[in-house]
Order: sequence, then structure tokens, then C-alpha cells
Amino acid sequence: MKTVKILGPGCANCRKLEAIARDAAASAGIEAEFIKVTDMNDILAFDILSTPGLVVDDKVVSSGRIPTQAEVKEWLAA
Amino acid sequence: MSTALHLLNGGAGNLAAYLAAHVLLCLLPAFFIAGAMTALIPKAGITRWLGRNTSPHVSYPAAVAAGSLLAVCSCTIVPLFAGIYKKGAGLGPAITFLFFAPAGNILALAYTGSILGPEFAIARVILCIFFGVGIGLLMARLFWRDDASHDARTDALFAKDGRMGRAAIGLLLSLLAVLLAGTLKLAPLTATIATAELSAPWAETWQAILVQWVPFDAARGEEGVSVQGSLLILLLVLIGLAAWKGLENITEGPNRWTWLALALAAATLLTAALRLIPTGEGLQVALTGRVIAVGVALLACLHFARQLEAAGLHAWLWESWRFVKQIFPLLVVGVFAVGVIRQLIQPAWIQGLAGQNDLTANAVAVLFGVFMYFPTLVEVPVARMFLDLGMHPGPLMAYLMSDPELSLQSMLMVAAIIGRKKTAAYVALVAVFSMAAGMIYGAWVDGASLAWIGLGLFASAAVLVTMARLNGRRPRSARLKGEHA
Repeated sequence: MKTVKILGPGCANCRKLEAIARDAAASAGIEAEFIKVTDMNDILAFDILSTPGLVVDDKVVSSGRIPTQAEVKEWLAA
Repeated sequence: MSTALHLLNGGAGNLAAYLAAHVLLCLLPAFFIAGAMTALIPKAGITRWLGRNTSPHVSYPAAVAAGSLLAVCSCTIVPLFAGIYKKGAGLGPAITFLFFAPAGNILALAYTGSILGPEFAIARVILCIFFGVGIGLLMARLFWRDDASHDARTDALFAKDGRMGRAAIGLLLSLLAVLLAGTLKLAPLTATIATAELSAPWAETWQAILVQWVPFDAARGEEGVSVQGSLLILLLVLIGLAAWKGLENITEGPNRWTWLALALAAATLLTAALRLIPTGEGLQVALTGRVIAVGVALLACLHFARQLEAAGLHAWLWESWRFVKQIFPLLVVGVFAVGVIRQLIQPAWIQGLAGQNDLTANAVAVLFGVFMYFPTLVEVPVARMFLDLGMHPGPLMAYLMSDPELSLQSMLMVAAIIGRKKTAAYVALVAVFSMAAGMIYGAWVDGASLAWIGLGLFASAAVLVTMARLNGRRPRSARLKGEHA
């Protein structure tokens, strides 16, 4: 069971990232819990300088851009 | 009933005239430039100059660069502001960044230049740099204790380095060339190279219908829609449809609609650069220098875009499309509203309130900027309306400085990160400096001698440099004290 956090105040890119991450998990058949982190102070607890950020099991795997589904699958499988 | 119709008509007319005239050659390239900056400029290349141990001589200019190049959207502004404040160079550069980002980013400047004129854009950027750095330094001075004590976490966030590839730099410069070739009003661009006469008996009739649909009063600064304009609006709609199918899922790869949308965008820019004039029985098409310049710049874009790696290309197109989706609807609504409101405001009111470049006028302009919240970039068409209605350029500049910086929304956001006391100080400083900026620009427009303006700016620069020196010392001595204790 993976824990996936989406960091972002709710901008368009954050919603896009969440959709991609959910699709990736579903199509790879990986069970994951999705948590949206929208509070700015909580987001800053992670070391990122721009949103959207993607965190898999408390490790920041991408920030400031939208990864492809294939990338997210790799992170989830790792 | 007829009043309501009249108002709606004013709004629709303003919108149509606006879409047909101003938007294309400026906004279309500007969206692609903003997208390229967000997707292709590695943030680390600039943020590494914003770490906590950087000298103020470096961190303040870096904050300005970050504001103009990285921060075209709130996704970047808020986290970067908080990051610089909490983990990086501290309050001063964070404030400079926050001040510069909404008003001095390249999208806002390009838009200001094409709608209000290049002198407004140049003055806006110069005044923003001066007062952005000035307010940052003052804030750092006022609250230096706080900066010295802020948590000493690792600087690793700001230690990364990033380099831009050759293709990305080439693409960005080519896009800038498209923007300049499309908007500059210089001789070789405006010259007519060749003309051709198309047989189009419908052109004259169509123009008459357009004038009937969108009646305009040139004396009030209104513009109508030309035959060319109607063609451009049609192309815009087609781009929108193609982009919806081609760019919505671009991060997973392009499809046929993607290329169609891009080809339509190029065609629109070239059409906008032509000059189409309806004559008695046909349509005169004039090939201008602008068409050639835009064409060459577009070819350069294509050349460099093909060298980009797929991920970069997709990210660029996605960010550009996202800006369109985010900003364009707001602009459409904003411009429509401006058209409606313009019908209600008597020029005499504006001239009485802000027709002169004095303290009251500048104060009123700043107050208006604080209490009115317009979404990103809508402040520009609003400013255009005020200019047409007889507002003095000085107070108008004061409004342009304060409106993007001070809105209820941004104040709440800033307060959540730096606290109420500092936010209050920031708001007060921005209000005062916006008035100063308006007075200076107004004096320049009124023909105050360049020597006086130069002297004023030189004095400001001297004060800024002195403060940077003092400021550089303060935290260091404070840090030493902290270590002894």
C-alpha cells in the first residue's frame, strides 16, 4: 500500500497531476491512498519551490511540472 | 430596457473590437512565451542565487529575475515566495520577488506595451525594479531581527543548479522575436511591400454589417471591428476548438489536433500582420514588412522546437495552453465588463478626480487599486479605459503599480506566511511607493526636465545602495551574537 500526496493549493496543474496519478495507479494495479495537501504551510514542510508536487511514501518525486503516467507508474512500482 | 441593451452592446462591442485588434499579435505569442518560461527555464538556475548565504548584491537582482522570468502564475509565486522567506535569502528578497512578480513579469509587460504603449511598459518595469528592491530592503531593515532568527534549516533547496539547453534558449528568443515583430510600430515593419486586389464583392457589405453590429464612437476612444478583425475572431475560435482536442492531454503526447492548433495559431499571426482593406468591389491585400518578419521568426520557432526533447516540448505546449485556459476567460469577462462600465462613466468625473498629476489624484488611484480586485492582466484594459476617459498618466501609473500588488486575496495569502504585522507594513510601503512612482512618471509625462527625473532616480539608487550595505552587515552581526549566546 503506497501513500501518494499531491501538493498544491488547488490550481489547474494540481488537479491534472492528481488525475494522472490516479490513472497511473489504477492502470498499473497498484493500491494507493491519495492525500491532497492544500495548506501552504504543510506544503512547505516538503522541500519544494513550486507546485504541483508529488510525494510517494514521504519522498518528493517531482515538483513544478506534470509528469507522464509512465513516470508515475515507475515511482509507484519502486 | 433600451439602456440595458445599450450597455450590453457596449460590452460586446468592446470585446469584439479588442479581440480583433489587440489580442493576437501580442497575447498569442505572449502565452507561448509564458509557457516556455514556466516549462523550459530550470528554476534552480535562478533560485541558487537566492540561498541564505548569498550577498544582498546578488540576491536582490536574482529576486527581480525570478519575478520576471519564473513567476507568471500563482503556482510558482506563492511557494517560491514562502520558500525564499522561510528557507532562503530571507524577507527582503522574498518581498522584492513578491512585488515584482505580478506587475513585472514578461506577460504583463508585453501586454502593457501593446495596449497602453511602450513608454508605459518601460516606465512600469523601471519603477517596479526600483521600488521592488527598495521595499524589499526597507522590509528587511524593519524586521531584521526576525530574519536573523529564522530557522537555520539546510540550504540544500537552493543549492541545485540548472542549465538551459540550446534549443530552449533558441525557442524562447524566437518567440520573443515573434512578439516584437508583431507589435513594434517601426518603419520596415509597417511598410507595404506589395498589394494585391482580390475580387470580393461581399467585403464592402460585410464591413457595413460589422459597423452596424458594433457601432463605435472614435471620439470616446472606442474601436470598431474591421473585415480583417472578423476573420481573426473566426480563426481564434477555430484555434480554441483545435487546442481543446489537441492540447488538453498533451503531456501524454501530441495528436493530429495538436498540429492543427499550432498551424492555425501561426496562420492567425500571419493574417493579423497583413493589411486587408475593403475597396468598392474587392478586398485589397497588402503584404507588409511585418508579415515577412513574423514569418521568419515563426520558422525560427519551428526550427528550435523540433530540437527540443519530447518531454520539454510537451511541457511547453501544456503550460501555454494552461495559461490560455486560466487567463483568457478572465480577460474576456473583464474586457466585456469594461465595455459596459465605460458607458456609465462620464469623462468629466475621471478628469475632475484624476486629470492632474497631484497628490490627491495619485492617492485616489492607489486606493482604487487596493479596493478593486481584478484578476491577472485585467488591470491593463481597465487602465486603457481610464486613459481614454482622460485620466492623467501619472495617477494611472500609480494605479498600475498598486492594483496587481495589493488585493484582498494576495494580502490574505501573504499574511498567512509572514504574519499580519509584516503584511501591514508591506501594504503601507507599497501604497506610499506606488504614489511616488505615479508622481515621478506623471512629472516626466508633463515634461519635467530629464535632469530632474535622472537626479531623482540617481538619489533613489544611492539610498538603495546605502541600505543594501547596512543591510548586509546587520544579520551577520546578529548571527555572531546568536552564536555567542
